[in-house]
Amino acid sequence: MGKAGMMTAKDSNPVRLHLADATIGFDAVSPLIEGVDLTIRAGEIVGLTGRSGIGKTTLLRTAAGLVRPLGGSVECCCTADTRADKGAIGLIPQRLGLVQHQTVGYNVLMGALAGASFLETAFSLPSKRMREETRAVIEEVGLTEKTLESVNRLSGGQQRRVAIARAMLQEPDLLLADECLGELDAETARGIIDLFRHMAEDHRMAILIVDHNPVRAKTFCDRVYQLRGRRLIPFDEDEASSSTLPIIAEGSV
Amino acid sequence: MSERFSKTLRQISQRPILRATVILSIVTLLITNHLQITIWKLLDGWSNLKKLGSEAFPPDFTVLTERAGWTHPPCTFESDILCSPAVVGMTQTLEIAFLATVFGMLLSLPLAAMAASNLSPYWLSQSMRQVLAAMRVLPSLIWALIFVIIVGIGPLAGVLAMTMYTVGYLGKMQYEALEGVSKEPLEVARAMGLPRWQVARFFAIPEASNALISQMLFMFEYNVRHGSVIGLVGAGGIGWYMNHYLTPFQLYDKVLALIVVMFVVVVIIDQISLVVRRGFIDDTSNLPRPRWRDILLMRDPVGTESSESLD
Repeated sequence: MGKAGMMTAKDSNPVRLHLADATIGFDAVSPLIEGVDLTIRAGEIVGLTGRSGIGKTTLLRTAAGLVRPLGGSVECCCTADTRADKGAIGLIPQRLGLVQHQTVGYNVLMGALAGASFLETAFSLPSKRMREETRAVIEEVGLTEKTLESVNRLSGGQQRRVAIARAMLQEPDLLLADECLGELDAETARGIIDLFRHMAEDHRMAILIVDHNPVRAKTFCDRVYQLRGRRLIPFDEDEASSSTLPIIAEGSV
Repeated sequence: MSERFSKTLRQISQRPILRATVILSIVTLLITNHLQITIWKLLDGWSNLKKLGSEAFPPDFTVLTERAGWTHPPCTFESDILCSPAVVGMTQTLEIAFLATVFGMLLSLPLAAMAASNLSPYWLSQSMRQVLAAMRVLPSLIWALIFVIIVGIGPLAGVLAMTMYTVGYLGKMQYEALEGVSKEPLEVARAMGLPRWQVARFFAIPEASNALISQMLFMFEYNVRHGSVIGLVGAGGIGWYMNHYLTPFQLYDKVLALIVVMFVVVVIIDQISLVVRRGFIDDTSNLPRPRWRDILLMRDPVGTESSESLD
């Protein structure tokens, strides 16, 4: 917290993710993205768009501390280190990362692991409080009846709810969601978006969300960025609908 | 002449299958010669085979009905059948296989997690692999010899020997299964900042549970089959009773009866194991499959009482 430069805004909106002149990728000779400047504060939803394979997921994984930045600084949740405190970062990968063949209850409960004591985890005896909170978030995402069902048997939308419930139970300071709205019908997507808004507004999470569809992202994100030509730039609707980015323009219709 | 010879050589070397056949034949002949194996020795065996056959047939199934006073440990049942060499021996073999599988599984799972390259740092996974490989170098029969020397004749030596081999063999299968799990759940756990053992315990192992259970059942089946051998060196089980008839009495009809009993039991266990394992292997079925935790712990994470209160 000691970084004076990061605490300029009101304290109720602390910085959760700060990338300064970061170079991202796997190969220093040809990095995927260069000179990334991005700051996300508590309670904000930031959208990230761009073509497939351009490095959106890698940017997310770098923010999660799974990939080392090639240069510049990546600071999560006000610590100078890229390794954040236990449970401070929540990740929802593209294919959700649910533990297959396990129940909804099991998968959601995993979100409480970061806050659990050693004994609770060593003997896998979740406390009463953990189990009650698990039930509460499952109810919040509307899957109460599916609690004891294997996640493999749920629909795509329901599986996303499970991943979101897991993140809600974890209550990270920074939530990173990759393509969480892809291949969903409009109504289901709306439901998921409401859950994200709820997490940002009521739980003061900072959320970085990758969405294929920049126009939809505009509707629920506070800010939307796009990745283009190794750069992270603010998304501009007018520019996108002109001829420079036909793919995004197509997707936005 | 030499020109024709070199031409033939060239032709052989140009045809890969022919070349391989020629090389293989030469090597086989050389080795047979080196081991001093001749067709005459094989023919000499024919008369012994006839003698063995006439003494072994018909198998003497009294091994199933007659009480044996010399079982180890001593049999205390009233019934003669329950104290017969075949029943005592086969039961011991099954019990040894069961204990060895359970203990082997308990030991191999943490070792396998340490040996899995996606769960452990490079130095640890590589060194654990060497440990598991070292345990696999000796077959269970040799382990049995060693443990008979250490703890004496009896089923304990058998259990220890089979456990050692189980750890080495099952551990290898397990770390390969763990390395095959999807990496996304592991990344979720890592982003959460969980320690490595929790990533393994709560994400990788449950994700691989179907393969792990299936391997465990296979290992039990394997241990029953191999458990009959270790008795020959005094490590308990049906092999010990076979050996009792073989040396010095050479009662081949009784030994054959024991072999028949063993064969029937092994076939039955193979079939049961096959049916049970199918339930864990088949990924296409839409049926709810038994889960790891349900089998080993008999409870669900949210708590059984909670599932009632939810309704």
